[in-house]
Amino acid sequence: MTELQHTHHDLAHGHHGPPPPRTGLRRLTGPGYLRALWLTLLFGAIGFGIVVFFRWLGGWDPILHWDVLATVAFMTTAPVGFLAGLGAFDYWIYYISGRPTRPEDHSGHGAYSWRDYFRVNTDHKVIGVQYLVTVFFFFVLGGLAAMLFRAELAQPDLQFVDGQAYNGLISMHAALMIFLFIIPAFAGLANFAVPLMLGATDMAFPRLNALSFWLLPIAGLMLVASFLAPGGAFASGWTAYPPLSTEAPMGQIFFNMGVQWAGASSIMTALNFLVTIITMRAPGMTFWRMPLLVWANFTTSLLVVIATPFIAASQFFILFDRIMHTNFFTVAEGGYVLGYQHIFWFYSHPAVYIMMLPGFGIISEVIAVFSRKPVFGYRLMALSLMAILVLGFSVWAHHMFVAGMADWLRVPMMVTSMIIAVPTGVKVFSWLATMWEGRLRFGTPMLFALGFLSMFVLGGLSGIFLASVPIDIHASDTYFVVAHIHYVLFGGSVFTIFAGIYYWFPKMTGRMYSEGLGKLHFWLTFIGFNGTFFPMHWVGLQGMPRRVADYAAEFGNWNLVMTVFSFLLGISTVVFFYNMIVSWARGPAAGSNPWRALTLEWQVSSPPPVFNFDEIPQVVGGPYEYGVPGARHAVLHAAAATEAREEEVVR
Amino acid sequence: MRRGSIVRMVVYGVLAGTVASLVAVAVPWLPTSASEQMDRIVFTFWFTTVICIGIFAIVAAIIVYCVLKFRAAPDDERDGPPVHGHTGLEIAWTAVPAVLVTAISIVSAIVLAQNEDAGDNPLRVNVTAAQFAWSFEYPAENGEGGLRSGELVLPVGRTVRLRLNANDVIHSFWVPEFGQKSDAVPGIDTHLVITPTRIGSYSVVCTELCGLGHSTMRAPVAVVSEEDYDAFIARLASNGGGSGEETGEGIFASAGCGSCHSFEPAGTDSQVGPALDDLAGAAENAGLSLEDYVREGIVDPDARIAEGFQAGVMPKTYETTLTDEQLDRLVQYLVEGQS
Repeated sequence: MTELQHTHHDLAHGHHGPPPPRTGLRRLTGPGYLRALWLTLLFGAIGFGIVVFFRWLGGWDPILHWDVLATVAFMTTAPVGFLAGLGAFDYWIYYISGRPTRPEDHSGHGAYSWRDYFRVNTDHKVIGVQYLVTVFFFFVLGGLAAMLFRAELAQPDLQFVDGQAYNGLISMHAALMIFLFIIPAFAGLANFAVPLMLGATDMAFPRLNALSFWLLPIAGLMLVASFLAPGGAFASGWTAYPPLSTEAPMGQIFFNMGVQWAGASSIMTALNFLVTIITMRAPGMTFWRMPLLVWANFTTSLLVVIATPFIAASQFFILFDRIMHTNFFTVAEGGYVLGYQHIFWFYSHPAVYIMMLPGFGIISEVIAVFSRKPVFGYRLMALSLMAILVLGFSVWAHHMFVAGMADWLRVPMMVTSMIIAVPTGVKVFSWLATMWEGRLRFGTPMLFALGFLSMFVLGGLSGIFLASVPIDIHASDTYFVVAHIHYVLFGGSVFTIFAGIYYWFPKMTGRMYSEGLGKLHFWLTFIGFNGTFFPMHWVGLQGMPRRVADYAAEFGNWNLVMTVFSFLLGISTVVFFYNMIVSWARGPAAGSNPWRALTLEWQVSSPPPVFNFDEIPQVVGGPYEYGVPGARHAVLHAAAATEAREEEVVR
Repeated sequence: MRRGSIVRMVVYGVLAGTVASLVAVAVPWLPTSASEQMDRIVFTFWFTTVICIGIFAIVAAIIVYCVLKFRAAPDDERDGPPVHGHTGLEIAWTAVPAVLVTAISIVSAIVLAQNEDAGDNPLRVNVTAAQFAWSFEYPAENGEGGLRSGELVLPVGRTVRLRLNANDVIHSFWVPEFGQKSDAVPGIDTHLVITPTRIGSYSVVCTELCGLGHSTMRAPVAVVSEEDYDAFIARLASNGGGSGEETGEGIFASAGCGSCHSFEPAGTDSQVGPALDDLAGAAENAGLSLEDYVREGIVDPDARIAEGFQAGVMPKTYETTLTDEQLDRLVQYLVEGQS
């Protein structure tokens, strides 16, 4: 089957396949890591030269101002050089320079060996895998940071790290998990699944797609590199409130700039999803026939393009205050420190939906397929996503109930925060109704979906407490908040990421993972998660503030319990990685549709052919018509479809 | 749905609700209240908890029921019934939660209004936060302000209105037993209303990440009888209370030294910073006279770090916030108090 499709595409698109090996000088000038190396150095030197030249010209002292040099040379021009060297801009440069555009050889499309995953690749399926492998690398780093500070917290007083190192670890943990794990993990899963689900051959802008992936490792390495900065890693939390962050050592700049790169990556991807979903749906794929994963990524992408510029702005303000001597947050010069929090949370509250809506989409797929039933109230499920999108922009100040903001803002923001529980509740009840009277199968994706459902309900309920202003005044900035965000971001988002990984693993790799290890991973995660985070609820309410390296002795026992369970959580990921790596290499062949799902990605081979579909499919019905006699979602080959229909008539 | 399955669902729901209620009752979720505001927060908390346990019980019962009842046999390849939705149900689970969260919102808004009401004649105390110490300024008996202390002492039963401000970065004032919390923000004044109801000792906890010494930023709180409060104010007034005329002992208290350091003459016993009772040996090791050593420790605390402590935690601002005379008196007080 796959062979046939290759022939077909050879006819349609000319040559494609692995690029010919380069020799001699071409190895230095052609796209690749060698060119990336010298262009990174060259661009870094150019940035360095620009700063030094203008500081010399202006007579500014010192000429070597390391904050400015780091910002311009290390974190702006050098990464651009790296991208150029790798070949992210090659096609555009050809186009802009007026040279005849190269014929479409598709040599950068599709993966033929593991090396192709380390190149600028324009295939959405390759990019999806690149995203996922990259984000799990940063997931490990973020998790190790968490285990280090949990070790410190096992006992009161300071044992392993000092105040700076502790604050650096908690800030790094949050920044990596949010910007380099959860947000891009969903981008990776959607990159793989959405074009297939739409019946499209790729994303709308494959080169932009490749570029947005390659911004991500840059952002991640930038954040991690801050450990090497003089004064240590950024240590004012992932929220980076001024004046603490404007006065912090140089490591803070790495956060300011890392967020810009990660944010640019998200915005580009979101634009790409929006255009793809609006313009590249297969014939017959109306909005009301789109799978809910597509709906979820549509709303998420709207959130990203509207909200992400706000965090970019907030970090630029901090950076400008430091290196350009602006006074956005300098109180003595009339700065207004709460202005930062408003701008920051105007992104960062919608960001929790950016980190949750794609997960909702995954859960809708998994629960429908593993219950063998249509999604209950499909249209209300899609509309509730849109309701969360709109309401999500009207609740940001609930993060600021104790911040000293205008008093009148609190009650309206409380009401909107409470109301947003309603569309979320609609989703939970609809999932339950989908399972009702279904034929439930408890494969690993379904276990994680059920784990998500129960944990997310707990996280949602603790959110009601935090939305209530008087309770929040007591609970704000305590471990209760830490418990809440982990119930929604770990019990919520991360469980859905695992559900999605297990669900699409056979499609991505063509191989089946080990169910036994998958289930072991689930139970270790579920137990480790609850043991780590459930006690935080009362420890916080009783009086333990968040972000402290040392705490009152009365909380010692519970903290020891949490640390022990957090290490169990660490062990659970070892099981996960073992399962993924070994199954990818040696797992049994999965077949094209192991879950007997109806959505389009399961109607092609595993892994799918380079251009996804032989012919663009014709969509003829909804995506979840389980149990409906004779119902179909799509017809893949006109001839085959006619045949199938005739067979049915004969029977 | 058959009657048997309804009964089973209800049983699961009651079981889940009972377990959740046991967890709610068995675990000491909240500290014992010590203020009228906390009493109302506790009420709101339990009001919300009851509703949430109800929702949790329903969801848990349905999940458990589905898992037990609708498990497909391994060889069962059939699909479930093609039910696409039910308008009545969908309206119900949109409307009922909306009513419940509206109820919680109304209760919360009323409680908030009550908790913000300071009454006609509250005691007014100014709170200043700085890395990493708290300072409190009380009105004198003659009505004029300016009596400073590193300890928050409040008369029981009297409503106090705190005015908070920060010198450097954002801090947050929280006494868990009082429930109330507010950030102290550079450049703007924030306020908190507290009516203490229980005599006892508590602790101010900083809950906004404020730098290296964030976890050590505590201050003692005492709720005392009206007479004891008057005596405390009289004592502050007699040793100068931050007026510039105060004694060394008064400066030690008003600058908040006792929040972190134990010093027997002042009766403080905090372990956050090094003890100050026996500094002669350390001064000798440093090759300084005792007086110079103590002075250096106040104006340039990171010059020498005692073993077991870290740099960057003690404020470096005392050289500017204390006058030369105050500094002399404080050094004298510490030198004379050596054991």
